[in-house]
Amino acid sequence: MAKKRRVVKRSKSAKRKARAGVPTQSARAALAVATSPRNTVKERVAAMSAATLAVCDDDQGLQTMLNLLRDRDEPIKVRLAALASIQAASFSVVAFESCRSDYIATLRAVMTDPDPELRQRVLGLLAREKDAAAGKRLIDGLENPAKALVPPEKALQLLGYDPHADVYKIARRMVEKPPNEAARREALRLLAADANSKGVFEKILRDKTEAPEYRRISASALHAIAPDALQKLAREIVLDSSESEDVQATSLTAISQFGDEAKVSGDEALLKRVTRLKTAPSAKVKQTAKRLLTKYGR
Amino acid sequence: MGVDVAEAILTADVAEDQFATLVDALAANQRSDALTALLAEDHAVYDQRGTAAIVRMRGWVLLALARGALPPGALIFVLEELDTGHDGYLVAAAARALRACAPRAEFAPFVMRAISNLRFRDDPVTFDEYGAYATSPDAITPVHELLATLAWLGPLAREIYPQFDVLRTPGSGLSKKLLPDLERTLEAVGPPSPSASARLAVASSASGCCDWSRDGFLTWPFAARAPADAVRATVFQDHNGETTTFADFFTGQPAIVAFFYTRCDNPQKCSLTISKIARVQQQLADRGVADRIRTAAITYDPGFDLPSRLRAYGHGRQMRMDAGHRLLRTTEGIEPLRRYFNLGVNFIGSLVNRHRIEIYVLDAAGRIAATFRRIHWNEQEVVDRAVELLNGDGHPDAASRDSIEQTRPEPPDHPRAAASLLGTLASLGIAFFPKCPICWATYVSAFGISSLVPIPYSPWLQPVLFGVMALNLAAVGWRGRSTKRMTGFALVAAGALAVVATKLGAVPEHASLLGVALTMAGSFASARS
Repeated sequence: MAKKRRVVKRSKSAKRKARAGVPTQSARAALAVATSPRNTVKERVAAMSAATLAVCDDDQGLQTMLNLLRDRDEPIKVRLAALASIQAASFSVVAFESCRSDYIATLRAVMTDPDPELRQRVLGLLAREKDAAAGKRLIDGLENPAKALVPPEKALQLLGYDPHADVYKIARRMVEKPPNEAARREALRLLAADANSKGVFEKILRDKTEAPEYRRISASALHAIAPDALQKLAREIVLDSSESEDVQATSLTAISQFGDEAKVSGDEALLKRVTRLKTAPSAKVKQTAKRLLTKYGR
Repeated sequence: MGVDVAEAILTADVAEDQFATLVDALAANQRSDALTALLAEDHAVYDQRGTAAIVRMRGWVLLALARGALPPGALIFVLEELDTGHDGYLVAAAARALRACAPRAEFAPFVMRAISNLRFRDDPVTFDEYGAYATSPDAITPVHELLATLAWLGPLAREIYPQFDVLRTPGSGLSKKLLPDLERTLEAVGPPSPSASARLAVASSASGCCDWSRDGFLTWPFAARAPADAVRATVFQDHNGETTTFADFFTGQPAIVAFFYTRCDNPQKCSLTISKIARVQQQLADRGVADRIRTAAITYDPGFDLPSRLRAYGHGRQMRMDAGHRLLRTTEGIEPLRRYFNLGVNFIGSLVNRHRIEIYVLDAAGRIAATFRRIHWNEQEVVDRAVELLNGDGHPDAASRDSIEQTRPEPPDHPRAAASLLGTLASLGIAFFPKCPICWATYVSAFGISSLVPIPYSPWLQPVLFGVMALNLAAVGWRGRSTKRMTGFALVAAGALAVVATKLGAVPEHASLLGVALTMAGSFASARS
C-alpha cells in the first residue's frame, strides 16, 4: 500500500515537473543516449523521441540537439530524428519560443545540407515560418536551377506559404515553359492568388488541348480571382457539345454553386442544354446536371 | 561614384547590391536627407520588388542612418517601425537607428511595444553585410537591440519600468540568453519615482535633435484643402457588389476613410485598422452621429479583394456595413485616387509590398481635412475631428485654415535662410545697379584691378533683381502669415519701398542703403521665426 502511494506520489511529481517544464530523469537519460556517438544509430534514434522533454526546458539539452542537427559528421538518421524531436518540442510553444532564435539560426544553417531529405524538411519548416532566408534560397533556385536546393515543384509549393514572396513572375514563366509537369501544376496552384494571372487561367480553361487537370485548376483559380469571368466561361463550356466531360462537370458545379441565380434561372438556352446533359453518358456530368436543375426547380 | 549620380539612379531598375553600395555612398557623404527620402514607401526604387527585398533595402537605409545623427525627418519612420513593425530585421535596424538621436523619455513606450510585438518571434539577425541572414547561434536578435536601446535611454525609460515585470516572468517569450541583457537594462533604467519622473520629463522635453511637434507626426491636420475634382469620377464597388462613385459617397457629409488590404500579414496594421474603424463607428453611434458621418475602408488590392472577401473581412472585425459605412474596392480611377491621398504604398504586380497606416477625415466636399499616418491612431481623436467638421469646421474659412497651418511641418531651415540671403542680395544689387554703360565701366574697372574677368553691360539684370526682391517679399509675407509674426514682412516691405523709391528718384540716393539694411533685417527675422 505504502509502495503504491509512493508510486502515485512519484508520478504526480513527474507530471508536475513536466507541467513546469522540468525535464524528468528519464528524459535526461534518453538525451544522453541519443547524443552519445558510442551508441548504435538504432539506439540513438529510439532514444530521441523520449528526449523531447529535455530538449527545450534545459538550455544544454536544446543546444546539444541543435549541435547534433548541425553536425554533418553525425549519421543522417540521427540528425533527422533530432530534427523530429526538436519539432515535437516546438509544440510546447511558450517554453520553446524562448529558444527560438537558436532554432531558426540552426535551421538556416542546415537548409543547405548535402542530404536532400534533411534539406527539404528544414526548408519546409522555415517556409512555414515565412523565413526570408529560406524564401531567398528557394527563389534563387527557381531562377538558377544549378543553385536549387529542392526540385522546382517543391520550391513553388513551399513559397506558396507566403503570399508576399516574390514568386508570381517566375510561376507565370513556369506555366509557359515548365521544367516538368509537376512544376507546372504547382505554378498554376500558386498563381490562383494572383489577380494579374486572370488571363493565364482564361487561356488554359478555353484551350481544349490542355489536360483536364490544368483546366480544372484554372477554373478553381478563376473562381478565386475573377468569379464573373469563370461564370462566363463555364456557360460557354456547358453549351459546347465538343467539350471534355470532366471540364463540363466542373463548369456545371461552378454555375450551380456560385452562379447568379437570377441570371441562371432566366437563361433558357443554358437550362435546356443542362436538361440534355441529364442523360449524358458520364455519371459525373449527369449528377452535376441533375443537381443544377433541382436547384432551379426543373 | 558621386552622390548626385547615386541619387539619380535610385530607380526601380537598380540591382539590390548596387542599391546597397549607393546607400553606403550617401551615408559616407552624410546625405541623411537623401537617405530619409528612401524611407518613403512609394519611392520608385521599391516598385515591383518583393516584400523580402524591401525589408533588406529599408533595413540597410536605417542602418546607414544609424551611423550618423538621425535627421528629424527620419524619426517618424523609425518610430513607425517600432510601433507596428513585425519584421525582426527592420525593427532591430530601427532600434539601432533610434540610438543615433538624442534620447527622449517618449521613445520608451515605442521600444517596449516593439519588444511586445516581437518577443515571440525573436529571429536572429545580422548587420554584417547587405542581404545576409544570421545562421550562427551567437547572432544578435531584435529584442537584444531593443533592450540595448532601452539601456541607452537609461533613466528616461523609467515610466515603463513596471512593464519589465512581464518580461521577467517565465513564458514571456524572452530568450534565456537575453536574461543578462534584461538585467543590464533594468540596472540602467532604474526603478521609477514620481519626483524623478517629473524632472526627467522636463529634461527630456528640453533636449535636442528630434522635435516631435515640428515633425507633427502624431496627427497631421491638413491646411489648404485641395479640391477633390480629380477623384470625383473614381468608381468603387462595395462589400455587397454595389457600385458608387467618390462624388456620390464622399460628398454631402464628412467621412472617415482608412486604407487596408485583406492579405496584409501584419496584425498591427490592416486587421487592427479595420477593428479600430469598427470602434470608431461605435463611438459615432454613441454620439448619435453615425448617420451624419460616413465611414469607409478602401482596399489597396482591388484585384484580389472582391466584395465577398471585403464582406468577410469586415464581418470578422465587427465592422458596421450599410449604405453609409462601407468597405470599398476601386474599379476605375485608382491612379488619381492614389495621387489624391498621396498613398504610402507600393506594389509588386497587383499585390502590396509595403504600406503605412493611413486614416483620413474628409469634409463634406470630399476634401482632406485631417490625416493620421504611420503611428497608431486614436479612435477618439479621429471621431473628434470628424465631429468638428460636422459642426461647421467643414468650411475652409480663413480662420480654420490658419489654425491648421500652425501645426503643419515647417520647411527645413536651410532653404529658408538661403531664400532670405537671395532676397537681400537682390535688394543690394538693385541699390547699386549702375545707371548707364559708363557707370557700368567704372564699376567693372574694379574687377579689372582685381584681375577678374570684366562683366559685359547687362541692363536686363535690373528687372531680374526686382523680380527676386518681389519674390523674397512674397515668401516673407507667406511665412509671416503662417507663423503670425509679421515683423519680418514689415521690415522687408519697408526696405523694398526704400530701394524702389531711390531708383525712381523720389528720395535721396543714400536711402537705398537703409532699404538694403531693412531688407536684410526683415529677411533674417523671418528666417529665425
